[in-house]
Amino acid sequence: MAGTDLGPGPIPGPFKESSGGGRRWRFIILGAVVALAVAYMAYAAFPGNTRYFLTVSEFLEQPNYQTGQPVRVSGKLVDGSFQRQGDTTTAQFQLVDKTAGSAGGYLHATYTGVVPDLFFNPHSEIILEGRYGADHRFQTDNILVKCPSKYQALEEAQNQG
Amino acid sequence: MSSDAVTARISPAKPLGQTTRWLGLLALVLTLADLYLIFLVAPADAVLGQVQRIFYIHVPMAVLSFLAFFLVFVGSLVFLMRRTPRWDRLAHAATEIGVVLVTLALLTGIIWARPVWGVWWTWEPRLTTTLILWLIYVACLMVRAYAPSRSRGAVYAAVVGIIGFADVPIVYYSVQWWRSIHPAPVVGPLAEAGALEPIMLAIFLFSLAAFLVVFLYLLLQRIAVRRLEDQAAGVRLASGGQASPGAP
Repeated sequence: MAGTDLGPGPIPGPFKESSGGGRRWRFIILGAVVALAVAYMAYAAFPGNTRYFLTVSEFLEQPNYQTGQPVRVSGKLVDGSFQRQGDTTTAQFQLVDKTAGSAGGYLHATYTGVVPDLFFNPHSEIILEGRYGADHRFQTDNILVKCPSKYQALEEAQNQG
Repeated sequence: MSSDAVTARISPAKPLGQTTRWLGLLALVLTLADLYLIFLVAPADAVLGQVQRIFYIHVPMAVLSFLAFFLVFVGSLVFLMRRTPRWDRLAHAATEIGVVLVTLALLTGIIWARPVWGVWWTWEPRLTTTLILWLIYVACLMVRAYAPSRSRGAVYAAVVGIIGFADVPIVYYSVQWWRSIHPAPVVGPLAEAGALEPIMLAIFLFSLAAFLVVFLYLLLQRIAVRRLEDQAAGVRLASGGQASPGAP
């Protein structure tokens, strides 16, 4: 940190640099690179549209989402649909649309791995990252759990329940 | 220039104001009380359990980072109009504190996300726009540090600080404008009624007040240090940068 800011001496006035032109260009180029990098990050974060995930019904209605491209699909876990294959960590389950309900159809999904703690919580919304397989099963790479924007004390919830 | 000449230019360092000292003591007491409330008084959450306590730290830091960047915005704007170092000191101090707060908000968010969402990080709107916010104000400090002179660095930082503030409302409304995994605000204009239990709301407000006192203490301290730095460097921005001779 022994830069020019700390020393008492080497502080040129605002318009006194002899090499001002070169520095200005360097500065503009650096700024442009940073701006492009930030713009690219914004673009890469929302490819194509600004939707972080599709709902189950949106995904099932649009065949072009089902071509094996990576997508995120969100819905509610269908009660009792979760089944493990023998003693493996591979499981099959179904998601249903949060708003459209069963009218939006059921998404059959497979996943190998440990599910998050709140996966089975009835308040949770499940977001699957993965792709649609040729066997009409959603091949899940990652499971994310969205919780309601509402906090309640554990004791009170138990008393009410 | 001899070291005697430098010392002569620096007015006797003002002892830290009595108000600031008391503010520091108050910050200490409130922080300890806050920790007690968060870990021993606040109830565990019905769905999230113990990990939800991070809420009382994560949200105040995010809220106060918005306040910091608002102060950067105001300080930068007035500095560009009047060119007096006083407003640049405010903007500079608020930028540094804001960057610390956003960094901690991101880190506590990452720690909270792993057990609840199942991932440390995901490229969803609230997280992405917050990371961009972090990059903007880190860039704000970088253009200040890399500028050929302190006075020009102050101007560059002010420009970034004003334009960068546009991201603050985007971060706040991101959960409403776009689909997101991040919970909607439980306080403020976007909050739904009854999103927070009364005891949780009370402890949250206490925590926010405690963090605000820490924030003000850090801000006053940093501005005082920055004033000393200005004196030490002999910078007189207002008088057209009449600085000591002898470039590197």
